[in-house]
Amino acid sequence: MQAEIAATPVKAVKVAFTAGFSRRYTDSIREFDVQAKNIRGVIRAMNDLFPGLGETLEEETSIAIDGVIHEVDYTQPVKPGSEVFFIPRIEGG
Amino acid sequence: MLTNTKDIQQVMKVVGTSPVRPDGVPKVTGQAQYGADYSLPGMLWAKVLRSPHAHARILSVDTSKALALSGVKSIILGSDFPEHPFDYVGPERVAQNYWHMTRNIMAREKALFEGHAIAAVAATTAAIAAEAVSLIDVKYEVLPHCIDVEDAMLPDAPLLFEDMITRGVEPAPSKPSNISKRLEFSTGDIAAGFASADEVVEMSFKTAAVHQGYIEPHSCLARYGADGQCELWSASQGHFVVRAYTAKLVGMEIGNLLVHPAEIGGGFGGKTVVYVEPMAVLLSRKTGLPVKIMMGREDVFKSTGPTSGSSMTVKIGVKKDGTIVAAEGLFKFQAGAFPGSPVMNATMCAFAPYIIPNVKSVGFDVVSNRPKSAAYRAPGSPISAFAVESVLDILAKKIGMDPLKLRLKNAVKAGSPTAWGPKHSHDGYAETIQVLLDHPGYQKPLGKNQGRGVASGFWFNGGGESTASVHINEDGTVVIATGSMDVGGSRASMALMAAETLGVPYESVRSTVADTASIGYNHVTGGSRVTYATGIAVVEACNKVIEDLRLRASLMWDTDIKNVVWSDGYAKPVDPSVGNFEPLSLKAIAGKRAVTGGPIGYEASTNAGGQAPGFSTQFVDVEVDPETGHVKILQFVAAQDVGRAIHRDYCAGQIVGGVVQGIGWALNEEYIYDSKGRLSNAGFLDYRIPVASDLPMIEAVLVEVPNPSHPFGVKGVGEANIVPPMAAIANAIENAIGRRMTELPMSPPRVLAAIDAG
Amino acid sequence: MSKHHVTTVINGDPVEFLCQPNVSLLDVLRNELNMTGTKEGCGTGDCGSCSVTLDGRLVCSCLVLGVEAHGKTIQTIEGMANGETLHVLQRKFLEHAALQCGICTPGFLIAARSLLERNNNPTEEEVRFWLAGNLCRCTGYNNIITAVLEAAREMRGA
Repeated sequence: MQAEIAATPVKAVKVAFTAGFSRRYTDSIREFDVQAKNIRGVIRAMNDLFPGLGETLEEETSIAIDGVIHEVDYTQPVKPGSEVFFIPRIEGG
Repeated sequence: MLTNTKDIQQVMKVVGTSPVRPDGVPKVTGQAQYGADYSLPGMLWAKVLRSPHAHARILSVDTSKALALSGVKSIILGSDFPEHPFDYVGPERVAQNYWHMTRNIMAREKALFEGHAIAAVAATTAAIAAEAVSLIDVKYEVLPHCIDVEDAMLPDAPLLFEDMITRGVEPAPSKPSNISKRLEFSTGDIAAGFASADEVVEMSFKTAAVHQGYIEPHSCLARYGADGQCELWSASQGHFVVRAYTAKLVGMEIGNLLVHPAEIGGGFGGKTVVYVEPMAVLLSRKTGLPVKIMMGREDVFKSTGPTSGSSMTVKIGVKKDGTIVAAEGLFKFQAGAFPGSPVMNATMCAFAPYIIPNVKSVGFDVVSNRPKSAAYRAPGSPISAFAVESVLDILAKKIGMDPLKLRLKNAVKAGSPTAWGPKHSHDGYAETIQVLLDHPGYQKPLGKNQGRGVASGFWFNGGGESTASVHINEDGTVVIATGSMDVGGSRASMALMAAETLGVPYESVRSTVADTASIGYNHVTGGSRVTYATGIAVVEACNKVIEDLRLRASLMWDTDIKNVVWSDGYAKPVDPSVGNFEPLSLKAIAGKRAVTGGPIGYEASTNAGGQAPGFSTQFVDVEVDPETGHVKILQFVAAQDVGRAIHRDYCAGQIVGGVVQGIGWALNEEYIYDSKGRLSNAGFLDYRIPVASDLPMIEAVLVEVPNPSHPFGVKGVGEANIVPPMAAIANAIENAIGRRMTELPMSPPRVLAAIDAG
Repeated sequence: MSKHHVTTVINGDPVEFLCQPNVSLLDVLRNELNMTGTKEGCGTGDCGSCSVTLDGRLVCSCLVLGVEAHGKTIQTIEGMANGETLHVLQRKFLEHAALQCGICTPGFLIAARSLLERNNNPTEEEVRFWLAGNLCRCTGYNNIITAVLEAAREMRGA
């Protein structure tokens, strides 16, 4: 008899955008819940919802993962329940 | 048992000291080669013809007389550069539009600012090139112009681009204007926020364009070969970025352009873009000879990006106990002749140091007939901070609260919200305020016409792409190379981090900057990113080397690698049971490298994230001369959270340098235009930057709240220090003479007028 | 314009060159003689990066014509060190981090040496005013002033 493996629900990753970005690219919706283990997964999930968005996210944004700023990097891990905020990319002088 | 560098963070041997930098002796003996110091046999000199008009249609350009001059080899116009489609690419905050960029290098349809390049001549001597420039005959149709940002926004303003429709406005406007973009960041409910405030202050401010003021004009030398390979010696803040822009603007493949990093004589953001390089490369291609261009100082002021001038309105509401409940800002920035002012940075940084539940921050990017703005040290943030930090000062007075304590009460820390969305991720701001509250200078009594002012500032700091290589020489010394241009001593900081990681003396590490063919990609030296991101790459490369050194030692001892540890610069047995082995130095292992696998060296690259922003809090004492309006700086103390100071003197140097630029911005510097839109003060005599006799010793206070994402806890230090000074000085002047200055610069005639206005 | 033949002594060595009468000494040093240690920051005598001494007098070489150097002695940054031994000012600039990008440094060193030759015990204010003709955009001048005062101290044997 096969043991039943109860699937523990994995907490979603919250994906968020600025108001201006969401108005332009995500029908003004600012927050989404997705399942993903890393940034590649986040981008794939968002691209599934809005085809073409993935490339925009890669080219034009940086991310803040629970507030800590990172470049968009596929391999960057994301823990369940964390917040991934896409923000305008930073340049200095 | 040190197999991991994180263990050594507690006890630093070399990090935190202040040794002499590797490029020090060449620089004090005049041997260091900057952009204008290179020559090649057969070299031609190039000079540029620039528009004398602020706004004009270019009807015709006749180069025939110039070409006929003996010694002239080639003349190029805008039409000699490849055209680019009109398209904004890349990150919104710093989007590039190559249609604009190629026209900024050299005009096509119109001259859009006085100083706009129209043509470039290459000749056998500089004198012949200059004479040829004067022989080029250009027919212009002079057009009305606009300079000031408010004037450029008026409905009947002369348009720079007849098809510019403001982005970021819904629905899009039907008529064109000079407003390139509108943007907004909001959170909470502004109306409710102000309704709940006990005190509200709203005030408008104006700032003038100021130039980065680097002492070295833009210069480069290009040699384009008949095989399509080009070498370029250029002083810039990023030779990889120079390679990318130049290749694209000239129409060549990146791989065919090799850029050598010349030493750079100051950049502050202004040398993260190209001006002369595409011209030199194109002229070299056409002539088959090396071409050298050196900009004159007048051209630097007229034709290279200053930062924006602005027109701003800020409104802040607080409760009686000092809690900030609402903040609103309207920031109109002049971008110069092409879009791309740092207004987005300004709208984001303006209120960033404070926990405010209701914020609305709106920005406009506006074109006008002046040179295209370029980045200047924390671009945008010092401008909006002038307004915000001034208003906070007025509020502090209204509620009878010490201005530092007002800031401390509302200070952000890790977990605090931002107006644009994500939380703040690092502490450090409150510590910069506290250290000033505790500073004895803050209590120093003041005399007649003297006043003290405080201000704070925020800047993002950057991460991004860097590559570093580390090699062990045959004698056990170390050579490290990165692709990060060294503007302020970063070669020394890289060597310190490598020496600390490897456990060897600083003097045994040679630190260099490699050209674009010899190291992997490095993003610009700017955004306070190099000690952070390139430091990470250096440490990673060292860690790879350490793993290899352990392997080599294990082969030499004929034991398993797990029995070898790396400690204090030596391979050691993990415990005596492994065998009676003497520790092996780098020299000993390098001596056996051939039989253990060959040369020892690794490269590491990173796209670094996890950087922490910069916070700076400052106070200044001034004395105002009521008869002349002259403002004298008596005392200036600037605190900044640097995470961890790798090289203490160079960190302090960044803080003092940024503060003094801020003092110049506050008291003297501005672009002055005449009625024809021509710059009246295009030289260091009348564009007056601070000199040694203007200043006392500036005190830099290094606050260290380490950043856990960096192996040594580094936070970028270069920029946040220029954000507070203007407001701090305005606040000090107000305390000294009871006059609120709302326009920069606060030069003697303006201060005097404010005094006389009563 | 035909060129003039100029004979001069630079950093103790006899030097001859040809130059047109409208060419600055700065351009001669950099482009004829390949002595690029002296820098051009403005070309109009406002920044001091081109500082040299002419018969012992501190001048902006961009404001001196090449032909004016005929029969005179010139000192540039290239002559400041003595072989392998740095001048005390050069050492102090390094020790006190008195340079960041370093483009203004040759000018400051020439100007500072000129001050200390006249006044071996200057006050901070005297140093600041003497060096007011040399612009630095990177350092804010703190460490430059300290380095000059420390060099003066060492030179006095104090």
